[in-house]
Amino acid sequence: MTKDGSVMEHGEISSKAPLVAPVAAGVNRAVAVVDTFLRFIAIIGTIGSAIAMGTTNETLPFFTQFIQFEAKYSDLPSFTFFVAANAVVCTYLVLSIPLSIVHILRPRARYSRLFLVFFDTAMLALLTAGASAAAAIVYLAHKGNVRANWFSICQQFDSFCERISGSLIGSFAAMVLLVVLITLSAFALARRH
Amino acid sequence: MSSGEPAAVSIPIHDHHGKAPATSSAVPAAAAAAAPAAAPAVAPRKVGIPFFRRGDHHRGSRCLAFLDFILRIAAFGPALAAAISTGTSDETLSVFTEFYQFRARFDDFPAFLFFLVANAIVAGYLVLSLPFSAVLVIRPQTIGLRLLLLVCDMIMAAMLTAAASAAAAIVDLAHNGNLRANWVAICMQFHGFCQRTSGSVVASFLTVVILMFLVILAACSIRKR
Repeated sequence: MTKDGSVMEHGEISSKAPLVAPVAAGVNRAVAVVDTFLRFIAIIGTIGSAIAMGTTNETLPFFTQFIQFEAKYSDLPSFTFFVAANAVVCTYLVLSIPLSIVHILRPRARYSRLFLVFFDTAMLALLTAGASAAAAIVYLAHKGNVRANWFSICQQFDSFCERISGSLIGSFAAMVLLVVLITLSAFALARRH
Repeated sequence: MSSGEPAAVSIPIHDHHGKAPATSSAVPAAAAAAAPAAAPAVAPRKVGIPFFRRGDHHRGSRCLAFLDFILRIAAFGPALAAAISTGTSDETLSVFTEFYQFRARFDDFPAFLFFLVANAIVAGYLVLSLPFSAVLVIRPQTIGLRLLLLVCDMIMAAMLTAAASAAAAIVDLAHNGNLRANWVAICMQFHGFCQRTSGSVVASFLTVVILMFLVILAACSIRKR
């Protein structure tokens, strides 16, 4: 007997229950496909940022007797943290691709989606921290600070400045993608199977 | 029906929900059946059952929602403290030259301005989301509201992380300076300003940790349903 008490015949097809399940699984499968695709793009973003920042090295053509003017990413601790954070997030994203593919094959998995949400949130925090610390220093390099007597170094190191400014873009794009990924995973968790 | 008990055979026998048909043929049995018949009549109405009792089907979800509510209140404190502490940071040195007075305030650094604004926004958001969290304690089965709170919490956590780490980068520079870029560490002179801003960065990171935990909690309770 079904819920409302009406008796069904043996060969009769209930109009509601069997159709909802494949549609729900289909939506979850689509969400998992988008999830994997966005992860690939985020991998490209983070690895691009890490490489762009990590290969900065500019030497000015003039020098005094004692010192050669040189700028590298490792001269500023924020940039070192930026490269490290991007590398860690990139590694995590690469390692989470298999789990994402598993979600395409098994759309009803819940514990593994929760696992992915947990680590995505942690990686979002790490990436945001690295990207915005580097952004603060890049802003300082462009504008300087009159009150603290910090001189803007971009006026001398042109290509170094351009490099470090451009490497922020990939990192911030990956951050936005991580936000979208977490939202998608939460949406897939909330759907009734 | 039998004619021996005229007053007792008035209970209709409807078998809609599979309950045993009530056939009471004696008055004491009818009176005894009236009391347990009243209890099943009350039980399907969820409003009658108090929270966290054994009959509550949503006890686990309610516990998580209550924890969510408590954590929101706990996160509001450090966020507000960080905002106020940064906003009132203003130090003037006792030394001055003929042309220049040495002074440090939060709006001399755009990163601190962003930090102050972000902390104020997050503190306001946490206060405004308290009623929604309270609704989730009362009605744990609203999943849409949980999803909305998860997304908003995550966006606020990302923004606050960005502001806190930008301020942390400037604070680190103020403490240590940078030899290569010829940036002098200003903490040597501005002690109070440095201490204030460092403390508020720490408080802000504490709020970030609580917000991240709130996101995980919301995801767990969506899964649990």
